Amino acid sequence: MKLSQTLQAMAVGASLLVGTMAPARAAEDTVKVGVLHSLSGTMAISETSLRDVLLFAFDEINAKGGVLGKKIEPVVVDGASNWPLFAEKAKQLLEVDKVSVVFGCWTSVSRKSVLPVFEKNNGLLFYPVQYEGEELSKNIFYTAEAVNQQAIPAVDYLLADGRKKFYLIGTDYVYPQTTNLVLLEYLLSKGVPIENIGGGLRKDEAGKVISAGKYTPFGHTDYQQIVAEIKQFAATGDACVINTINGDSNVPFFKEFAASGLTAADCPVVSMSLSEDELRSLPTKDLVGHLGCWAYFMSIDSKENAAFKKNFFDWLKTAKVQGIERTNRVTCSPMVLSYDGVYLWKAAVEKAGSFDVDKVREVLESGKITFDGPNGLNTVEENHHTKKNTYIGETKADGQFKIVEEFKQVYPEPFLKGTFVKE
Amino acid sequence: MMRPYAQRSLLFLAAVAMTFASLVYADESETAARQSAARAILAPESEQATIVQDMAANPSPVLGPIFEAWQRSQVYIYEAPDGARIPFILMPADGSASKAVRIDNGEPLVGPDGAPIVVDETVMKPAETFAKLRRAMRSTMDLLALADPAPAIRQSAILKLGMKQSPEALPILNARLAKEQDKAVKNGILDAIALINLASPDPQLQIDALNQLKKSNSIPSRELVAKMAADETLSPKVRAAASSTLKAIDNHLFWVDFFGTMFRGVSLGSVLLVVALGLAITFGLMGVINMAHGEIMVVGGYATYLVQCVFGSGVALAPFGISVNLPGFGFDPNSGIYQSYFLFALPVAFLSAAAVGILLERGVIQFLYRRPLESLLATWGVSLVMQQLFRLIFGPANAPVYSPAWLLGSFSVGDVIMNYNRVFVIIFAVAIVVGTSLLLAKTPVGLLIRAVMQDRTTAACMGVRTRKVNTLTFAFGSGLAGLAGAFLSQIGNIGPSTGQTYIVDSFMVVVVGGIGNLIGTVISALGIGTVDQILQTSLRNPVIGKVLVLVGIILFLQWKPSGLFATKGRGLEN
Amino acid sequence: MKQEVSKKEVLIGAIVAVFLIAVIPGLNAFTPAGSSLHVSDFNINLWGQYLCLAIVAVSIDMLWGYTGLLSLGQMLFFSLGGYALGMHLMLMIGKLGQYKSDLPDFMVFLGYTKLPAHWEPFAHFGFAAFAVLWVPGVVAFIFGYLAFRSRIRGVYFSILTQALTYAACLLFFRNELTLGGNNGFTDFKTLLGFDLGTPGTQRGLYIASAVALVLVYALCRWLTLTKFGKVQRAIRDSENRVLFSGYAAANFKLFVFVLAGMIAGLAGALYVPQVGIINPSQMEPAKSLEAIVWVAVGGRASLIGPIIGAIGVNGLKSWASQAFPAYWPIFLGAMFVVVVLFMPRGVVGLPAQIQEAWRRHKRAKEATAEAAAAATQVPKDSQS
Repeated sequence: MKLSQTLQAMAVGASLLVGTMAPARAAEDTVKVGVLHSLSGTMAISETSLRDVLLFAFDEINAKGGVLGKKIEPVVVDGASNWPLFAEKAKQLLEVDKVSVVFGCWTSVSRKSVLPVFEKNNGLLFYPVQYEGEELSKNIFYTAEAVNQQAIPAVDYLLADGRKKFYLIGTDYVYPQTTNLVLLEYLLSKGVPIENIGGGLRKDEAGKVISAGKYTPFGHTDYQQIVAEIKQFAATGDACVINTINGDSNVPFFKEFAASGLTAADCPVVSMSLSEDELRSLPTKDLVGHLGCWAYFMSIDSKENAAFKKNFFDWLKTAKVQGIERTNRVTCSPMVLSYDGVYLWKAAVEKAGSFDVDKVREVLESGKITFDGPNGLNTVEENHHTKKNTYIGETKADGQFKIVEEFKQVYPEPFLKGTFVKE
Repeated sequence: MMRPYAQRSLLFLAAVAMTFASLVYADESETAARQSAARAILAPESEQATIVQDMAANPSPVLGPIFEAWQRSQVYIYEAPDGARIPFILMPADGSASKAVRIDNGEPLVGPDGAPIVVDETVMKPAETFAKLRRAMRSTMDLLALADPAPAIRQSAILKLGMKQSPEALPILNARLAKEQDKAVKNGILDAIALINLASPDPQLQIDALNQLKKSNSIPSRELVAKMAADETLSPKVRAAASSTLKAIDNHLFWVDFFGTMFRGVSLGSVLLVVALGLAITFGLMGVINMAHGEIMVVGGYATYLVQCVFGSGVALAPFGISVNLPGFGFDPNSGIYQSYFLFALPVAFLSAAAVGILLERGVIQFLYRRPLESLLATWGVSLVMQQLFRLIFGPANAPVYSPAWLLGSFSVGDVIMNYNRVFVIIFAVAIVVGTSLLLAKTPVGLLIRAVMQDRTTAACMGVRTRKVNTLTFAFGSGLAGLAGAFLSQIGNIGPSTGQTYIVDSFMVVVVGGIGNLIGTVISALGIGTVDQILQTSLRNPVIGKVLVLVGIILFLQWKPSGLFATKGRGLEN
Repeated sequence: MKQEVSKKEVLIGAIVAVFLIAVIPGLNAFTPAGSSLHVSDFNINLWGQYLCLAIVAVSIDMLWGYTGLLSLGQMLFFSLGGYALGMHLMLMIGKLGQYKSDLPDFMVFLGYTKLPAHWEPFAHFGFAAFAVLWVPGVVAFIFGYLAFRSRIRGVYFSILTQALTYAACLLFFRNELTLGGNNGFTDFKTLLGFDLGTPGTQRGLYIASAVALVLVYALCRWLTLTKFGKVQRAIRDSENRVLFSGYAAANFKLFVFVLAGMIAGLAGALYVPQVGIINPSQMEPAKSLEAIVWVAVGGRASLIGPIIGAIGVNGLKSWASQAFPAYWPIFLGAMFVVVVLFMPRGVVGLPAQIQEAWRRHKRAKEATAEAAAAATQVPKDSQS
């Protein structure tokens, strides 16, 4: 921290010096950095915000002299919510533009799609969105929440709150499936009887329970049946819902939930995929009192967060980006973890004294690269994930979260399956 | 974090025992309760829950409204000039201003000069609450709820008490039973007593309790009863009684599920019907495959959103970088006029969607009446353009549309839960189907529409201005789609790609129903909705149900290639 | 229409084929990276993908342009072919995956301990290669048999094919189908022992796609020249007359539908190792509609039109979605509306259309002149 501040001060000083001496900056003085997000298609709602915060971080760094004296030159490409296109654009970034690092991807499938490209070209990707774990590529650093930094703390909180019955519901894709698999093991290890886990059980051929949860397809709109089931499940009291439904389907789910007379007091819903950014387009009145669990909330009361929010919103007012939304903006965990990723990379590059991927990776893996960001301290661990705080928040009517619990510096565990011992 | 469970339940029992005492001697404890409430509100966050928990030992009825207001963020703190902090709530008073009432003594809040303090609600920051605190308040309020004037609240509080299975609560329940007038609540008390007696060591009491639960088909008791039926340590007689009760409850559950599924099927069918009715006009009557039907629906949804914004505080949009500010009337969100925005939104949705329909018909479709495949493709192009326009005008995110209070909540008939919004969709569907068929069958316009659709050339020869009728019919179908969009905003999303979600489903409804036949559309929508829900229930899986429905439709068309009610014609190429 | 292939056409065809199959990959392999003639590895890979899409476009043209069957589910067959080869590729990863297990990664983390029985034969390349053709073929046969038997035609056929691909898409999204759910298949390592990561293998796949395109083109061109092709076009123009002439139109249609499905499957199988992923989003109804756009823009009923359309529209998309992400969908949609309304024969048919329009214009001018001379009024048409 001290060191990085000194370095920053030196960098600023150096840049001022260079700036006065050589006003016309040559192209060699820049370093190309890739931004790979969906700016169109279904995922654009969430991913455009990540592009914005990345460009903001680059401008912020460039204003202070850049990285190793080089200004960051962003190469922004659009994955268009199209997974084959993600692979194509990743190839373009690494083979044609030859970028030093890429920040990007939201969905697991997009990450899976580009992973072979990064491994083949020995590229470097920073991935910022909560995900299911069970992956560790030498070319990817995961600033995102691993399952034990999000779902497990949420369950701990609910257990402490006296909840005894857990209904698991999610969209049918790998993140909810894996998360629920892990949660099933975790709940059983905490002594929750299997009949108190709702949503349905999946058994293998031998009849052994291997997974749990109710799954709906993407864009599902009819939640009558499921909410009726939840209502029956919750009739005996002390129930809660662990919600890994993705995106749009949350609206019909919560509307049905509220309409059926279930309240956050009777049966709170903890949602894993709803951050402040998603809440902007949800009828938040229906969600008041329900819970969220992230590594960052906009309502965190710290001076780093206050400065980050102020600078970002100021930057938005004048940013020269086509079609950028300038008003009614919020900050959320994936955005902040993207932002952290940029600074973690910068710190690693400066320590390695080079943009070379192998050297940067070696430094990152040392476990000594940290960044004190808006969400608190982030440390890159040897397993390519970051140690950070986890917060539980309650949704308020204005779409913000009131923080009700904080888990300090949770060590990331990407591989969780089969690690729980019954207490 | 949390007290151990045993300690908590002890405290709870003490509280139960004292509740009724305190209900009798309310006056004495009221002041004390008010003061501790005020203390709790002013306490640091870490202590608030503990203070409230301790208050459970002495729950005065006066706490109910205070806690409720606090949970709803309607408790404020007044900072007096002398530095004292006084929590207060706002009570509705005569005239427009509301009256500030101190929590610690129930007196009006006055300044140093003795004059009532006028508070501006909009600038005050309410005292906040959080889960643990609310949980503590909840247990206190649960006790108070036992004597609540509203029967439904009493009943749920009684059930909660019963589910705890603590015999100490029996005298309270018995006392309540003697006073209770409401029949349903009375039964609830009997159930709660039975629930407690299930845990009794006396087998006869257990059997009596099981019989009571059997009589009332108590669904919440099912798990407890099932456990008893499987419990080897109990006497065979008790186990037999438990099995028979379990059977009765399961039987009851079956019927509840059955009727529940039917209701949900009809309501889903009504949604499909509302969505497909516009298509039944444009596709069924006119033969135009309008792939932009979903987007026209979304126009209705966005119209509803805009009306909501206009009734509220307005909205700022920035299409193509031009900022447009739509001012609002600024009605209070709880006021009746704001709550009725949806009724005003309906005609707006109809008209705006119809207007888009006219543009589409004049601009594209009129050239393609003889080329249905091409009209399919061209309108798909239009739908792409429209989706992107929505994105540029309203932003990529969904528009948050709030349901008015009168569409929230549910009621139950014999344990079958029915949501108001679902009942509303059924009524809504009936209304627009009846309206549409009356319009087609009984009005001169309807006559013209039918004439043109049946035989365009002959109608033209008779002097009907077919071009106008075409446009009008298409506009009407589009307007119906707009109504569907307005309705969908109440149960789901309105966003740029919402239309795509419904397009396949609505085409299926029309194809199965048969072209050019409203009755067919009605039956097919209700049929598809019900089958979908039955499959969802029986397979416990929403996807497979949907896939099976689609496969079923393909097979169904083997049997009836032109749908349920095909219009019979002599033509070969129809 | 001409029944013979002119020498000129054969010559041009041969030149284009050699260019695609030999010259482009040659430029990639044998010119230095800096040279202006060099085709980069990135571009070879991209063009390989475009050629696969062009094959799908030809299959759509056989259905729509020549037989009048507008299938809105052609990408389903493309995906089925892709999945069939994808299953083989997944098994070829072996212990190189995340979990160092013989099972594909997604099965490991979904808790499977044994390879499901229907996966086992896909370990053999021969079986998988064969499945690339027969799986789409069988699905097309079953659906086509049911649809054509009950005389489902025109827009009904289109809507049902759309429902079919939608249902399949929902089904494939389900993880319980053991086909990877939403993530589908990724992270392929080898094909027939060749490392998919090397430029050489990618070049090989490009050549395979080019050869496949040329062969598919030749096959379809030949088919359309035979008597079969005549019946095909007759069905398109008036199915009832074909029926009354004693032809079993349903069987002809079924044959074309199955053939087109198999061609699309082949295209999918070639596409997947080049792009590195197959997942159910390829089956979404919108993808199939997009493929229709390629054919419509290029020009249907010409075989060469769809190829131009597929490559042109995708190239344009690659560039425009980058340069104008916000306006690209509007442009694509508008382009489509314009093509449908005013260019029924697409880009390929444009010269002929302009010629005709010019002639009509001249004739109309003469007619107006005559009319003016006769001083009579043209009655206004009240009917569109």
